[in-house]
Amino acid sequence: MTTSVEPPGVRIGHLPGTPSGGGLPGALAAEWTKLWSLRSTWWGLFGAGLLMGLVSMIMAEATVANNKDPGPEGPPGVVSVGDIATGAVETVQFVVLAIALLMVTGEYATGSIRATLQWVPPRGRMLWSKAAVAVAVVFPTAVLLTLIGSVVAWFWLDEWGRVDAGDLVHDALTIGLYLSLMSVLVMGVGAMLRSTAATLTTAFIFVLVLPITLVNTGSELLKDVADGLPSSAGRHMMNGDGPYPTVVALAILAAWTAAAAWGGITVLRRRDA
Amino acid sequence: MITLRGLTKRFGDKTAVDGLTLEVAAGKVTGFLGPNGAGKSTTMRMIVGLDRPTAGEALVGGRRYLGLPRPLREVGALLDAGFVHPGRPARAHLLAMARSNGIPRTRVDEVLGIVGLESVAGKRVGSFSLGMRQRLGIAGALVGDPEVLMFDEPVNGLDPDGVLWVRRLMRGLAAEGRTVFVSSHLMSEMQLTADRLVVLGRGRVLADAPIADVIARGSGDSVRVRSPRAAELAARLAAVGATVRRTTDEELQVTGLSVDRIGLMAHEISVPVLELSAVTASLEEAYMNLTGASVEYGTGTAEARR
Ligand SMILES: Nc1ncnc2c1ncn2[C@@H]1O[C@H](COP(=O)(O)OP(=O)(O)O)[C@@H](O)[C@H]1O
Ligand SMILES: [Mg+2]
Repeated sequence: MTTSVEPPGVRIGHLPGTPSGGGLPGALAAEWTKLWSLRSTWWGLFGAGLLMGLVSMIMAEATVANNKDPGPEGPPGVVSVGDIATGAVETVQFVVLAIALLMVTGEYATGSIRATLQWVPPRGRMLWSKAAVAVAVVFPTAVLLTLIGSVVAWFWLDEWGRVDAGDLVHDALTIGLYLSLMSVLVMGVGAMLRSTAATLTTAFIFVLVLPITLVNTGSELLKDVADGLPSSAGRHMMNGDGPYPTVVALAILAAWTAAAAWGGITVLRRRDA
Repeated sequence: MITLRGLTKRFGDKTAVDGLTLEVAAGKVTGFLGPNGAGKSTTMRMIVGLDRPTAGEALVGGRRYLGLPRPLREVGALLDAGFVHPGRPARAHLLAMARSNGIPRTRVDEVLGIVGLESVAGKRVGSFSLGMRQRLGIAGALVGDPEVLMFDEPVNGLDPDGVLWVRRLMRGLAAEGRTVFVSSHLMSEMQLTADRLVVLGRGRVLADAPIADVIARGSGDSVRVRSPRAAELAARLAAVGATVRRTTDEELQVTGLSVDRIGLMAHEISVPVLELSAVTASLEEAYMNLTGASVEYGTGTAEARR
């Protein structure tokens, strides 16, 4: 441009060969790399394990105490260790869901969602790759949590605990399914609300507050409504109780999850990043 | 090559980008200049599909960004150094980026070396200065070896060495035949970098031309002449093809003739001259003239200058 002596240009190098890869496998690999390169993921998983042990211990101790000194509802008797684990998941689920949710809302909070969308522009592919990676982590985590809860319960319950391999497999699978579907559900809601706090509050209301409130009204209609909520369906699926078979419970939960994912993708497509 | 056709973006009733039609050619550095709020960043966000255009379209190499199978192999963009998760180490950020588009991981270390961040590659981005984040953003733009590169205010936060480095980088990219589109609100920055300038004001193109033309159009070099017989002199100068503007009763602004010629011609027709001086337009003046009416948030000094 000018005749003065310019320093040599910056060499930026070249990528040899024809471009390949990318697509959904690329998006999955990127999400996987991103998830494990954050300390919050490791802390979250560690915290979930710790909390699972703690809550299971408290629940087992409550069972033991009630057997020694029964309350008005009578002694619980010998319980399956998996039931303690299933009960503990009620509390621990929020830690697990937060890990999955942060994959979406954490990126909104930091602005890095705009980087992600530059790498993987199709909104559906972007959210599905996050959801798939979340499930790949949440499902095995759920199985591990079931084991932790069961082992702790087994030690603590002593003669009041019962271990049945079939039950344990059932509990691990249903807890795994429940947490996986709920993770995708909150990620869909997170893509709509774009805020960790708002989404966690919504999840809290839907999972804990609303079912209890509806059931406490005493209205049959509202009780039916409560049974249609994703958390109640999940609870029925894990406990094997409720007014409908396990398959229906799973279908209800899956339908809510699909609706949330669809909503998330639709908002992603319509709104500016 | 970047092609914008009637690109428009409205936020509520505010029009940020107003029917932009533009071709950004390969092998050149195209400066995208305009005051704050002119719509530069919004335009760039629409090009990479982050913002949805209200109307019109933006194409890269003839295709929409959203339809590119491996976008990073075609477009490298540094839009905002803050589009990074602060909790993630720099190398992991680039590695995830590379994996998403099928770029080999050896390329990650290569670009870390190019921008001079290899010694801090394992550190989390949250601990980086703005300048370091800017370099990381540039590394990200380069990682896919793309044909089209976009930089939104790239020298913000860089030290003088860094500014010089970015300038060389952009010149080098253009010399390799790539399309380089770089925004700035500072004319001085464009002066040494850009081949062509697109000046934006309130979402509209105010000028789109080679950099020298923009300067000339903005005000241009001229000569100021003061004479009690200004009208007579004006007629004589116009007769030889100069452009003459009568600014006051006694004063003329002449373009197309040198001070020497005007002095000699005044002497020939015996018109007394009270003042004769060359007015050299600076780039900043040219820019102020172009954008003066379109400054969105006029500061006190900008107002005073008008
Ligand atoms: N998300 C948004 N919502 C509302 N207004 C916006 C948004 N983004 C940009 N704007 C407005 O659009 C105009 C152009 O902004 P921008 O593209 O950032 O300009 P520049 O990059 O040239 O400084 C400004 O008036 C700005 O306030
Ligand atoms: Mg801007």
